[in-house]
Amino acid sequence: MLVLTRRPGEKIKIGNNIVVSVLEIEGGYIKLGVEAPKDISILRMEVFEKIQKENIESASKDIRDIADAAALIKKKFSRSK
Amino acid sequence: MKVITRKFGEIEIDKQKVLTMPDGLPGFERYTKFALLEDPNTKPFCWLQSVEEPNLALVVMDPFVFMPDYSIDLKSVKLSRKWENVNEKDLAIYVVINISDKGGEKQIRANLIGPIIINVKNSEMVQVVFSDTRYSHQYNILDPE
Repeated sequence: MLVLTRRPGEKIKIGNNIVVSVLEIEGGYIKLGVEAPKDISILRMEVFEKIQKENIESASKDIRDIADAAALIKKKFSRSK
Repeated sequence: MKVITRKFGEIEIDKQKVLTMPDGLPGFERYTKFALLEDPNTKPFCWLQSVEEPNLALVVMDPFVFMPDYSIDLKSVKLSRKWENVNEKDLAIYVVINISDKGGEKQIRANLIGPIIINVKNSEMVQVVFSDTRYSHQYNILDPE
């Protein structure tokens, strides 16, 4: 991993069109600004990890008893559908 | 094309029905080709089955069945995927489902912050992450808080 030291107000450039600015440091928090093209997804890592985890869990489930669960959903939501 | 699946064994899938996920599926990034399979016995659940890896299948469902007012901002998705000209009614939305047993009671959770969007016009699919929503990644369908 590349490690750079920056002060508030300083920036780093990644590739041709991504710029990360250090805006402010206060009380243990660092405020970053990211300028990037709209098609680049920028996420808090822990949010992405939640999505990964839910996918992995869904894929690892025993799939035999899913008909029971489907029946529960049908029972609960059939009237409102 | 013939596809081997965990749930249905070997099945025939129309090539036109294969969905491509250019960025891969989070957690399984190297798999990019899937098919959406249905079984009358397990409706409203569907299977998002990898056509490359038989053991990779996720349970997904239409979120509007249990949350008719579920709403996500499709504008950013259309922009980032270059689907600007696609009508929103041609974007199908599914959410990943996790079923578990808690003390003998079935729990069905939906990930509402990471919906899977399928562009039915070009069979492209993407899992979008909405981090700034009021929704939960573990929404309890049968017993919402």
